Amino acid sequence: MSTEAPARPKLTKAWTAAEPILEVRGLKTYFPVTAGMLQRTVAHVRAVDGVDLTVRQGETLGLVGESGCGKSTLGRSILRLVEPTEGQVIFKGEDLTRLGAAEMRRVRRDMAMIFQDPYASLDPRQTVGEIIGEPLDIHHLYTNKRQRQERIHELLRVVGLNPNFNNRYPHEFSGGQRQRIGIARALAVDPSFIVCDEPISALDVSIQAQIINLLERLQDQFNLTYLFIAHDLSVVKHISDRIAVMYLGKVVELAAAGELYRSPKHPYTGSLLSAIPIPDPKVERGRQRIILKGDVPSPVNPPSGCRFRTRCFKAQDKCAQEVPPLDTVDGHEAACFFPLQGDER
Amino acid sequence: MAVDQTTITQLEGTPVQYEGGLARPAQSYWSESWERLRGSHFGMFFGGVLVVLAVIAITAPLFSAFVTHLAPTSVNLNDSFAPFSRAHPLGTDELGRDTLTRLVYGARVSLGVGFLTVAIYLLIGGSVGISAGFYGGWWDDLLMRFVDILLAIPTIYLLIMITSMLPLPIGPIIIRHDAFSLSTIIAITVWGTVARLVRGEVLTVKNRDFILATRSIGASNLRLMLRHLLPNVLPVMIVAASLGVGQIILLEAALDFIGLGVQPPTASWGNMLLNAQSYFYHSTSLVILPGICIVLAVLSANIFGNAVRDAFDPRLK
Repeated sequence: MSTEAPARPKLTKAWTAAEPILEVRGLKTYFPVTAGMLQRTVAHVRAVDGVDLTVRQGETLGLVGESGCGKSTLGRSILRLVEPTEGQVIFKGEDLTRLGAAEMRRVRRDMAMIFQDPYASLDPRQTVGEIIGEPLDIHHLYTNKRQRQERIHELLRVVGLNPNFNNRYPHEFSGGQRQRIGIARALAVDPSFIVCDEPISALDVSIQAQIINLLERLQDQFNLTYLFIAHDLSVVKHISDRIAVMYLGKVVELAAAGELYRSPKHPYTGSLLSAIPIPDPKVERGRQRIILKGDVPSPVNPPSGCRFRTRCFKAQDKCAQEVPPLDTVDGHEAACFFPLQGDER
Repeated sequence: MAVDQTTITQLEGTPVQYEGGLARPAQSYWSESWERLRGSHFGMFFGGVLVVLAVIAITAPLFSAFVTHLAPTSVNLNDSFAPFSRAHPLGTDELGRDTLTRLVYGARVSLGVGFLTVAIYLLIGGSVGISAGFYGGWWDDLLMRFVDILLAIPTIYLLIMITSMLPLPIGPIIIRHDAFSLSTIIAITVWGTVARLVRGEVLTVKNRDFILATRSIGASNLRLMLRHLLPNVLPVMIVAASLGVGQIILLEAALDFIGLGVQPPTASWGNMLLNAQSYFYHSTSLVILPGICIVLAVLSANIFGNAVRDAFDPRLK
C-alpha cells in the first residue's frame, strides 16, 4: 500500500547535517521607487538591508518584528520568490542567489513555504487534489496515477483532513482547513526546510492552537526545519528554539527563545516584550511599560547609524554616527552599543 | 520527510481527527455557471436557435442533395424570379438559383466566420493579454502601445483597407476572399479589446498569493500562465466572447454587402443582399429573406451571449 518516499534531490556540493542548513549573508532586498513618465528610479525601499542569519538543521528559528519591518520580504528573498539585490543565501552548501531558473526549480523540491492568507494562497479554480498534486507533477515524482493519488490521500491524512476531500474546491473549506491544505502542499515535495510566513495570524484564535500543534507534530515526524515568521510574541516563544528580532530591515537581536524573553538586550526587544499583555489585571495595572516615541521611520530613507535610535530611550550621539554590529552580549547576539542592563527590563 | 508504511501505521494507530464534514457535493465554478445558464430559459431558447442554425450550416451539402435537390450555384435562366413553389420553396433569384439552398449555404459563411473569428481573436487577445500582464515591463509596454494603435483606427476602415488588397499573395499562399481568410483578417483587427481586458484581469490575479505559492513549489512561467492565470481569466474571456459572435456576423455581412467579403457565386447572406438590391422592386423576397436570416442569427447570438455573460461573470453573482 505504501507509496515510496521520493528520493532527495541531488546536491551539487556535499553537505552534512552538522553544518547549518541555511546561512544568510549580508542579504539586501531593495525595491525601486519610480517616478515620472520614464519611470526613473528615484529611490529604493530598503525592505531587507543587510541581514545575517543562520538556521540550524531541525530547529525552529522565529522571526519577529512589527508590520513593514521586512520579515516577509526576508522569507521570500530566501526562497527567491523576490529577487535579492545583494548577499548570499546558502542552503545546504549551495548559494541560491547564483542558481539559474532551472536549477532553482530543482532546489525548490527541498524547500517550501506556508503562507499567511489561506484564502489567497490557494488557486480557486483548482480542486484540493490538484493543488496538492501539482508539486508532485512539477517534479515528476510519480508517473503512476494510482500512486500519485495515494500520496495525495496520505498527505491529506497527515495534515488531519479527510482524504475524500481531494476533489473539492478551496471555497468549500474554513480558514483552518484551508491552511491545512496549504501545509499539505508544502509537504508534498518532501522538503527539509519550510518558511512559515505568519501561518496563523489570519486564523481564529481557537484554530491557531490546532495549526501550531500540527506544525510541531510534522516537525518531529518529518525532521523539518522552520523559519517561523510572526508578530505574535507568545506564539513565537512557544514554537521557536531561537528568535531573531527585526527592525526596519535589520536583525537587531538573536537569542535562544527563553533567554530572549528572560533578559532582552536590545531596547527594541525590551519594548516589544513589554507590550505583551499579562492576563492578570493586578499585575497589568502595576507594571511598567516601555512606550516608544513616534512611528517607524520610512525604509526609503532610514536613519543613520542605528536605525532604532530615533525612537530609543537610551540613544546617544554615538548611535547616530556608527552602525552597531550584531555582537555577542552575554550569550545573545544584539546590535546595540548600550544594551539593556538587569534593572531596566 | 518520508511518508512510508511505518508513518502511516503510526498515524492510523493514533486516532486521527479529520477536520469537518461536508454534505454538499463539490461544485466547480464551471458546473455552477452552467447551472445558472440552464436556468435562463430565454437565453437557452435562443441558444437552441443558434444550435439549429449551426446544424443547418454544417449539413448544408446534405440539405442541398436530399431536400432541394439543387446546388447553390446551379443556374437555370428559364426559371428566374420564380415564386414560392414546391420545387423552389423560397423562390429563385435573377439567374434562377434556388434561394433556400443559397440561404442554407449562406449560413455556413456567416456562422463559420462568426465562431471562427471569435476563436482566433480569443487566442490572440488571450495570449497577448496574459503574457503582457504576466511579464510586465517593456514587453507589456510594447504590446499595449500596439493595442492602443490598433484600437485608434476604426475597425471597418481597417477591414476595408485590408480586404481591398485581396487577393494578396504572401509567399506560396494567396489570401483570397474566402471565409477562413476573412475570419483571420477580422480577428486581426478586433483582438485589441480582449487583450486589454485579459491583461487587466491578469494584473489583479498575478498578485494573489497562490501565484507566489505555485512559484514556490517550482512551477515554470509557462505553467503559471497556462494552469493558473488562464483558468482565472477565462471567465473574462468568455464574457468578452459571448457578445462577439453576433457582432462579427454583422461585420462580415457588412463586408459582403460592400463587395469586399465573400465573392459571388459563393452564397453568403451579405452578398445575397447586395445582389438583391438591384431587383428590389422585382422580387422583394430576395431582399427580405437574407435580411431575416441575418437578424435571426445576430439576435440569437446576442441574447444567448447575454445569458452566458450573466451566468459566467463572477462579478454579477
